[in-house]
Amino acid sequence: MAEFRLPPNSRIDQAAGKTFSAPAGARNLRRFRIYRFDPAAGSRPRIDSYQLDMASCGPMVLDALLKIKNEIDPTLSLRRSCREGICGSCAMNINGLNTLACTKACNELGRGDISIYPLPHLPVVKDLVTDLTNFYAQYAAVKPWLQTATPTPPDRERLQSKEEQQRIDRPSACILCACCSTACPSYWWNSERYLGPAALLAAYRWIVDSRDEATGERLDALEDPFRLYRCHTIMNCTEACPKDLNPAKAIGAIKKMLVERQH
Amino acid sequence: MAERPLSPHITRYRWAYTMTLSIVHRITGVALALALLGLIAWLVSASLGAETYAAILPLLTGIAGKLLASLAVAALIYHFCNGLRHLAWDLGFGYERVDARRSAVLVLAVTLIGAAVCLYFIFRPGAGAA
Repeated sequence: MAEFRLPPNSRIDQAAGKTFSAPAGARNLRRFRIYRFDPAAGSRPRIDSYQLDMASCGPMVLDALLKIKNEIDPTLSLRRSCREGICGSCAMNINGLNTLACTKACNELGRGDISIYPLPHLPVVKDLVTDLTNFYAQYAAVKPWLQTATPTPPDRERLQSKEEQQRIDRPSACILCACCSTACPSYWWNSERYLGPAALLAAYRWIVDSRDEATGERLDALEDPFRLYRCHTIMNCTEACPKDLNPAKAIGAIKKMLVERQH
Repeated sequence: MAERPLSPHITRYRWAYTMTLSIVHRITGVALALALLGLIAWLVSASLGAETYAAILPLLTGIAGKLLASLAVAALIYHFCNGLRHLAWDLGFGYERVDARRSAVLVLAVTLIGAAVCLYFIFRPGAGAA
Protein backbone atom coordinates (compact mmCIF):
# COMPACT_ATOMS: atom_id res chain seq x y z
CA MET A 1 0.00 0.00 0.00
CA ALA A 2 0.97 3.56 -0.53
CA GLU A 3 2.74 4.83 2.57
CA PHE A 4 3.68 8.44 1.95
CA ARG A 5 5.47 9.24 5.21
CA LEU A 6 8.85 7.82 6.02
CA PRO A 7 9.10 5.61 9.12
CA PRO A 8 10.27 7.59 12.19
CA ASN A 9 13.85 6.28 12.05
CA SER A 10 14.15 7.39 8.42
CA ARG A 11 13.06 11.01 8.78
CA ILE A 12 15.82 13.47 8.21
CA ASP A 13 17.17 15.19 11.31
CA GLN A 14 17.32 18.74 9.96
CA ALA A 15 19.32 20.05 12.90
CA ALA A 16 22.09 17.46 12.69
CA GLY A 17 23.53 18.39 9.29
CA LYS A 18 27.14 19.57 9.13
CA THR A 19 28.40 22.37 6.94
CA PHE A 20 31.77 22.38 5.23
CA SER A 21 32.73 25.74 3.78
CA ALA A 22 34.94 26.21 0.78
CA PRO A 23 38.62 27.09 1.26
CA ALA A 24 39.49 30.77 1.21
CA GLY A 25 40.17 32.15 -2.23
CA ALA A 26 37.69 29.85 -3.99
CA ARG A 27 36.07 31.60 -6.95
CA ASN A 28 33.49 29.34 -8.58
CA LEU A 29 31.47 28.14 -5.60
CA ARG A 30 28.79 25.51 -5.64
CA ARG A 31 27.01 23.90 -2.71
CA PHE A 32 26.29 20.16 -2.57
CA ARG A 33 23.64 19.00 -0.11
CA ILE A 34 24.14 15.30 0.49
CA TYR A 35 22.07 12.71 2.37
CA ARG A 36 24.10 11.11 5.12
CA PHE A 37 23.36 8.09 7.27
CA ASP A 38 25.87 6.47 9.56
CA PRO A 39 24.73 3.01 10.76
CA ALA A 40 27.31 3.06 13.56
CA ALA A 41 26.10 6.33 15.05
CA GLY A 42 22.59 5.12 15.85
CA SER A 43 21.13 8.46 14.81
CA ARG A 44 18.73 9.48 12.08
CA PRO A 45 19.79 10.50 8.57
CA ARG A 46 20.96 14.09 8.09
CA ILE A 47 21.85 16.42 5.22
CA ASP A 48 25.45 17.61 5.08
CA SER A 49 26.38 20.65 3.06
CA TYR A 50 29.67 20.95 1.19
CA GLN A 51 30.93 24.00 -0.68
CA LEU A 52 33.24 23.23 -3.57
CA ASP A 53 35.37 25.40 -5.80
CA MET A 54 34.19 24.19 -9.20
CA ALA A 55 37.27 25.75 -10.80
CA SER A 56 39.31 22.88 -9.36
CA CYS A 57 36.68 20.14 -9.79
CA GLY A 58 35.91 17.79 -12.68
CA PRO A 59 32.70 18.36 -14.63
CA MET A 60 30.54 15.46 -13.48
CA VAL A 61 28.60 15.02 -10.25
CA LEU A 62 30.74 11.96 -9.54
CA ASP A 63 33.87 14.13 -9.82
CA ALA A 64 32.41 16.44 -7.19
CA LEU A 65 31.51 13.54 -4.88
CA LEU A 66 34.99 12.06 -5.16
CA LYS A 67 36.55 15.47 -4.55
CA ILE A 68 34.49 15.75 -1.37
CA LYS A 69 35.51 12.25 -0.30
CA ASN A 70 39.19 12.76 -1.13
CA GLU A 71 39.72 16.30 0.10
CA ILE A 72 36.98 17.26 2.56
CA ASP A 73 35.18 14.36 4.21
CA PRO A 74 36.50 10.80 3.81
CA THR A 75 33.51 9.39 5.72
CA LEU A 76 31.21 9.90 2.71
CA SER A 77 30.22 6.53 1.23
CA LEU A 78 29.10 5.91 -2.32
CA ARG A 79 29.33 3.19 -4.96
CA ARG A 80 31.21 3.90 -8.14
CA SER A 81 33.39 2.02 -10.55
CA CYS A 82 33.63 2.69 -14.26
CA ARG A 83 32.95 6.47 -14.30
CA GLU A 84 31.58 6.15 -17.85
CA GLY A 85 27.97 5.00 -17.51
CA ILE A 86 28.44 1.29 -18.11
CA CYS A 87 28.65 -0.27 -14.63
CA GLY A 88 25.54 1.28 -13.10
CA SER A 89 27.10 1.59 -9.64
CA CYS A 90 26.75 5.33 -9.07
CA ALA A 91 22.98 5.55 -9.62
CA MET A 92 21.51 8.06 -7.18
CA ASN A 93 18.86 10.74 -6.88
CA ILE A 94 20.34 14.03 -8.08
CA ASN A 95 18.16 17.14 -7.77
CA GLY A 96 15.11 14.92 -7.48
CA LEU A 97 15.75 12.69 -10.49
CA ASN A 98 17.40 9.28 -10.59
CA THR A 99 20.46 9.15 -12.78
CA LEU A 100 24.13 8.16 -12.89
CA ALA A 101 26.46 10.56 -11.09
CA CYS A 102 29.21 9.80 -13.61
CA THR A 103 27.28 10.87 -16.70
CA LYS A 104 25.44 13.85 -15.21
CA ALA A 105 27.38 17.10 -15.59
CA CYS A 106 27.06 19.64 -12.78
CA ASN A 107 26.46 22.44 -15.25
CA GLU A 108 23.44 20.54 -16.64
CA LEU A 109 21.82 21.08 -13.25
CA GLY A 110 21.22 24.80 -13.47
CA ARG A 111 22.92 27.20 -11.09
CA GLY A 112 21.64 26.48 -7.58
CA ASP A 113 22.62 23.94 -4.95
CA ILE A 114 22.88 20.30 -6.00
CA SER A 115 20.96 17.86 -3.77
CA ILE A 116 22.13 14.27 -3.75
CA TYR A 117 20.09 11.50 -2.14
CA PRO A 118 20.26 7.71 -2.37
CA LEU A 119 17.95 5.95 -4.83
CA PRO A 120 14.37 6.33 -3.51
CA HIS A 121 12.44 3.90 -1.32
CA LEU A 122 15.29 1.51 -0.58
CA PRO A 123 16.92 0.51 2.72
CA VAL A 124 20.03 2.66 3.20
CA VAL A 125 23.22 0.81 4.14
CA LYS A 126 25.26 4.00 4.55
CA ASP A 127 24.99 7.47 2.99
CA LEU A 128 24.37 6.97 -0.76
CA VAL A 129 24.77 3.19 -0.61
CA THR A 130 21.44 1.36 -0.75
CA ASP A 131 20.51 -2.28 -0.25
CA LEU A 132 19.58 -3.68 -3.68
CA THR A 133 19.05 -7.29 -2.55
CA ASN A 134 15.35 -7.28 -3.50
CA PHE A 135 16.09 -5.61 -6.84
CA TYR A 136 18.66 -8.27 -7.77
CA ALA A 137 16.37 -11.08 -6.57
CA GLN A 138 13.67 -9.76 -8.89
CA TYR A 139 16.13 -9.74 -11.76
CA ALA A 140 17.03 -13.36 -11.01
CA ALA A 141 13.31 -14.22 -10.78
CA VAL A 142 12.79 -13.53 -14.50
CA LYS A 143 15.50 -16.13 -15.29
CA PRO A 144 17.73 -13.84 -17.33
CA TRP A 145 19.50 -16.54 -19.26
CA LEU A 146 18.91 -18.55 -22.45
CA GLN A 147 16.50 -21.44 -21.92
CA THR A 148 16.29 -24.12 -24.60
CA ALA A 149 14.81 -27.56 -25.07
CA THR A 150 16.48 -28.43 -28.37
CA PRO A 151 20.15 -29.47 -28.37
CA THR A 152 22.72 -26.94 -29.47
CA PRO A 153 23.75 -27.50 -33.11
CA PRO A 154 27.01 -29.50 -33.07
CA ASP A 155 28.78 -27.47 -35.73
CA ARG A 156 27.76 -23.87 -35.00
CA GLU A 157 26.23 -21.49 -32.49
CA ARG A 158 22.53 -20.67 -32.29
CA LEU A 159 22.36 -18.09 -35.05
CA GLN A 160 20.15 -15.04 -35.34
CA SER A 161 19.24 -12.85 -38.26
CA LYS A 162 20.17 -9.21 -38.08
CA GLU A 163 16.52 -8.30 -37.46
CA GLU A 164 16.25 -10.83 -34.65
CA GLN A 165 19.32 -9.37 -33.02
CA GLN A 166 17.97 -5.86 -33.34
CA ARG A 167 14.93 -6.80 -31.26
CA ILE A 168 17.16 -7.49 -28.26
CA ASP A 169 19.86 -4.95 -29.00
CA ARG A 170 18.48 -2.05 -26.95
CA PRO A 171 16.95 -4.03 -24.05
CA SER A 172 20.30 -5.83 -23.68
CA ALA A 173 21.97 -2.49 -23.02
CA CYS A 174 20.39 -2.30 -19.54
CA ILE A 175 23.09 -1.90 -16.89
CA LEU A 176 20.82 -2.72 -13.90
CA CYS A 177 21.49 0.61 -12.22
CA ALA A 178 17.95 0.59 -10.73
CA CYS A 179 17.24 4.20 -11.72
CA CYS A 180 13.99 3.14 -13.43
CA SER A 181 12.56 0.83 -10.78
CA THR A 182 13.25 3.24 -7.94
CA ALA A 183 11.67 6.10 -9.94
CA CYS A 184 8.38 4.20 -10.20
CA PRO A 185 5.62 5.03 -7.68
CA SER A 186 4.07 1.60 -8.24
CA TYR A 187 7.39 0.06 -7.30
CA TRP A 188 7.60 2.24 -4.19
CA TRP A 189 4.26 0.98 -2.94
CA ASN A 190 4.54 -2.64 -4.09
CA SER A 191 8.22 -3.55 -4.41
CA GLU A 192 7.58 -6.80 -2.55
CA ARG A 193 5.30 -8.12 -5.26
CA TYR A 194 5.68 -5.92 -8.35
CA LEU A 195 8.82 -6.86 -10.32
CA GLY A 196 9.48 -3.30 -11.43
CA PRO A 197 10.58 -1.87 -14.79
CA ALA A 198 14.19 -3.14 -14.77
CA ALA A 199 13.30 -6.80 -14.16
CA LEU A 200 10.41 -6.60 -16.65
CA LEU A 201 12.68 -5.08 -19.30
CA ALA A 202 15.02 -8.04 -18.73
CA ALA A 203 12.07 -10.43 -19.00
CA TYR A 204 11.09 -8.79 -22.30
CA ARG A 205 14.65 -9.09 -23.60
CA TRP A 206 14.44 -12.90 -23.20
CA ILE A 207 10.82 -13.21 -24.35
CA VAL A 208 11.64 -11.65 -27.73
CA ASP A 209 14.97 -13.48 -28.10
CA SER A 210 14.58 -15.70 -31.19
CA ARG A 211 16.90 -18.34 -29.70
CA ASP A 212 15.01 -18.73 -26.44
CA GLU A 213 12.54 -21.62 -26.24
CA ALA A 214 10.78 -20.81 -22.95
CA THR A 215 8.67 -17.90 -24.20
CA GLY A 216 5.39 -19.47 -23.01
CA GLU A 217 6.75 -20.24 -19.54
CA ARG A 218 8.18 -16.74 -19.27
CA LEU A 219 4.81 -15.21 -20.13
CA ASP A 220 3.06 -17.57 -17.69
CA ALA A 221 5.33 -16.41 -14.91
CA LEU A 222 4.45 -12.77 -15.53
CA GLU A 223 0.67 -13.19 -15.85
CA ASP A 224 -0.06 -11.94 -12.37
CA PRO A 225 -1.93 -8.92 -11.01
CA PHE A 226 1.14 -7.76 -9.12
CA ARG A 227 4.29 -9.04 -10.83
CA LEU A 228 3.42 -7.37 -14.15
CA TYR A 229 0.12 -5.54 -13.90
CA ARG A 230 1.09 -3.10 -11.15
CA CYS A 231 2.53 -1.15 -14.07
CA HIS A 232 0.07 1.67 -14.73
CA THR A 233 2.12 3.26 -17.52
CA ILE A 234 3.17 6.21 -15.38
CA MET A 235 6.34 6.44 -17.55
CA ASN A 236 8.70 7.58 -14.79
CA CYS A 237 10.94 4.62 -15.70
CA THR A 238 11.48 5.69 -19.29
CA GLU A 239 11.97 9.31 -18.23
CA ALA A 240 14.63 8.26 -15.70
CA CYS A 241 16.69 5.73 -17.71
CA PRO A 242 20.24 7.11 -18.09
CA LYS A 243 20.80 4.75 -21.03
CA ASP A 244 17.75 6.03 -22.94
CA LEU A 245 16.07 2.64 -22.84
CA ASN A 246 12.31 2.26 -22.72
CA PRO A 247 11.11 -0.12 -19.97
CA ALA A 248 7.53 1.21 -20.24
CA LYS A 249 7.38 0.21 -23.89
CA ALA A 250 8.76 -3.25 -23.09
CA ILE A 251 6.18 -3.76 -20.34
CA GLY A 252 3.43 -2.62 -22.72
CA ALA A 253 4.66 -5.15 -25.28
CA ILE A 254 4.52 -7.94 -22.68
CA LYS A 255 0.95 -6.99 -21.74
CA LYS A 256 0.02 -7.03 -25.42
CA MET A 257 1.58 -10.46 -25.93
CA LEU A 258 -0.40 -11.81 -22.98
CA VAL A 259 -3.64 -10.60 -24.57
CA GLU A 260 -2.74 -11.78 -28.05
CA ARG A 261 -1.84 -15.31 -27.02
CA GLN A 262 -5.40 -15.87 -25.79
CA HIS A 263 -6.62 -15.75 -29.39
CA MET B 1 23.70 -1.45 14.55
CA ALA B 2 20.75 0.80 13.77
CA GLU B 3 17.94 -0.48 11.61
CA ARG B 4 18.36 0.64 8.03
CA PRO B 5 16.35 3.74 7.21
CA LEU B 6 14.16 3.93 4.12
CA SER B 7 15.45 6.44 1.60
CA PRO B 8 13.13 9.39 0.86
CA HIS B 9 10.81 8.79 -2.10
CA ILE B 10 7.66 10.72 -2.97
CA THR B 11 8.68 13.78 -0.97
CA ARG B 12 12.07 13.81 -2.63
CA TYR B 13 11.39 12.75 -6.23
CA ARG B 14 10.97 15.71 -8.53
CA TRP B 15 7.31 15.96 -9.40
CA ALA B 16 6.90 15.43 -13.12
CA TYR B 17 4.10 15.50 -15.66
CA THR B 18 4.15 11.69 -15.75
CA MET B 19 3.01 11.30 -12.15
CA THR B 20 0.62 14.24 -12.38
CA LEU B 21 -1.34 12.83 -15.29
CA SER B 22 -1.40 9.38 -13.72
CA ILE B 23 -2.73 10.48 -10.34
CA VAL B 24 -5.21 12.92 -11.91
CA HIS B 25 -6.54 10.04 -14.02
CA ARG B 26 -7.26 8.11 -10.83
CA ILE B 27 -8.74 11.09 -8.99
CA THR B 28 -11.05 11.93 -11.89
CA GLY B 29 -12.07 8.27 -12.09
CA VAL B 30 -13.17 8.25 -8.46
CA ALA B 31 -14.80 11.69 -8.82
CA LEU B 32 -16.77 10.51 -11.85
CA ALA B 33 -18.09 7.52 -9.93
CA LEU B 34 -19.40 9.96 -7.31
CA ALA B 35 -20.73 12.35 -9.96
CA LEU B 36 -22.67 9.45 -11.42
CA LEU B 37 -24.74 9.39 -8.21
CA GLY B 38 -25.77 12.98 -8.94
CA LEU B 39 -26.73 12.07 -12.49
CA ILE B 40 -28.79 9.14 -11.21
CA ALA B 41 -30.53 11.39 -8.66
CA TRP B 42 -31.43 13.78 -11.48
CA LEU B 43 -32.83 10.97 -13.65
CA VAL B 44 -34.76 9.42 -10.77
CA SER B 45 -36.28 12.78 -9.90
CA ALA B 46 -37.33 13.24 -13.51
CA SER B 47 -38.91 9.78 -13.60
CA LEU B 48 -40.91 10.53 -10.45
CA GLY B 49 -42.82 13.28 -12.19
CA ALA B 50 -42.87 17.01 -12.73
CA GLU B 51 -43.27 17.97 -9.09
CA THR B 52 -40.23 16.04 -7.86
CA TYR B 53 -38.23 17.34 -10.78
CA ALA B 54 -39.24 20.91 -10.03
CA ALA B 55 -38.20 20.36 -6.42
CA ILE B 56 -34.69 19.16 -7.33
CA LEU B 57 -34.07 21.62 -10.15
CA PRO B 58 -32.95 24.52 -7.94
CA LEU B 59 -30.13 22.31 -6.63
CA LEU B 60 -28.82 21.94 -10.18
CA THR B 61 -29.26 25.52 -11.30
CA GLY B 62 -27.79 26.98 -8.11
CA ILE B 63 -24.20 28.16 -8.11
CA ALA B 64 -22.97 25.11 -6.15
CA GLY B 65 -24.74 22.73 -8.51
CA LYS B 66 -23.29 24.49 -11.52
CA LEU B 67 -19.79 24.41 -10.05
CA LEU B 68 -20.05 20.72 -9.28
CA ALA B 69 -21.42 20.05 -12.76
CA SER B 70 -18.50 21.99 -14.27
CA LEU B 71 -15.98 19.99 -12.29
CA ALA B 72 -17.67 16.74 -13.28
CA VAL B 73 -17.64 17.69 -16.96
CA ALA B 74 -13.97 18.69 -16.81
CA ALA B 75 -13.18 15.41 -15.05
CA LEU B 76 -15.11 13.50 -17.70
CA ILE B 77 -13.26 15.16 -20.57
CA TYR B 78 -9.89 14.57 -18.92
CA HIS B 79 -10.62 10.97 -17.99
CA PHE B 80 -11.94 10.24 -21.49
CA CYS B 81 -8.95 11.81 -23.31
CA ASN B 82 -6.36 10.30 -21.01
CA GLY B 83 -8.21 7.00 -21.28
CA LEU B 84 -7.71 7.16 -25.05
CA ARG B 85 -4.02 7.81 -24.36
CA HIS B 86 -3.91 4.66 -22.26
CA LEU B 87 -5.73 2.71 -24.97
CA ALA B 88 -3.13 3.85 -27.50
CA TRP B 89 -0.39 2.63 -25.17
CA ASP B 90 -2.16 -0.71 -24.76
CA LEU B 91 -2.21 -1.02 -28.56
CA GLY B 92 1.54 -0.40 -28.56
CA PHE B 93 1.68 3.25 -29.66
CA GLY B 94 3.09 6.40 -28.10
CA TYR B 95 5.72 5.01 -25.73
CA GLU B 96 8.62 7.14 -26.96
CA ARG B 97 9.42 9.93 -24.53
CA VAL B 98 8.65 12.69 -27.00
CA ASP B 99 5.35 11.03 -28.02
CA ALA B 100 4.26 10.57 -24.40
CA ARG B 101 4.96 14.24 -23.73
CA ARG B 102 3.08 15.33 -26.82
CA SER B 103 0.05 13.22 -25.97
CA ALA B 104 0.11 14.63 -22.44
CA VAL B 105 0.02 18.18 -23.78
CA LEU B 106 -2.78 17.20 -26.13
CA VAL B 107 -4.86 15.70 -23.31
CA LEU B 108 -4.42 18.80 -21.17
CA ALA B 109 -5.20 21.16 -24.06
CA VAL B 110 -8.38 19.31 -25.02
CA THR B 111 -9.45 19.20 -21.38
CA LEU B 112 -8.92 22.94 -20.93
CA ILE B 113 -10.70 23.87 -24.14
CA GLY B 114 -13.55 21.41 -23.52
CA ALA B 115 -13.95 22.58 -19.93
CA ALA B 116 -14.00 26.22 -21.05
CA VAL B 117 -16.72 25.52 -23.61
CA CYS B 118 -18.78 23.64 -21.04
CA LEU B 119 -18.29 26.39 -18.48
CA TYR B 120 -19.65 28.86 -21.01
CA PHE B 121 -22.78 26.81 -21.61
CA ILE B 122 -23.30 26.07 -17.91
CA PHE B 123 -22.82 29.66 -16.73
CA ARG B 124 -24.11 31.75 -19.64
CA PRO B 125 -27.08 33.94 -18.68
CA GLY B 126 -30.30 31.99 -18.69
CA ALA B 127 -28.63 28.59 -18.64
CA GLY B 128 -30.66 25.96 -16.84
CA ALA B 129 -33.75 28.12 -16.66
CA ALA B 130 -36.86 25.99 -16.70
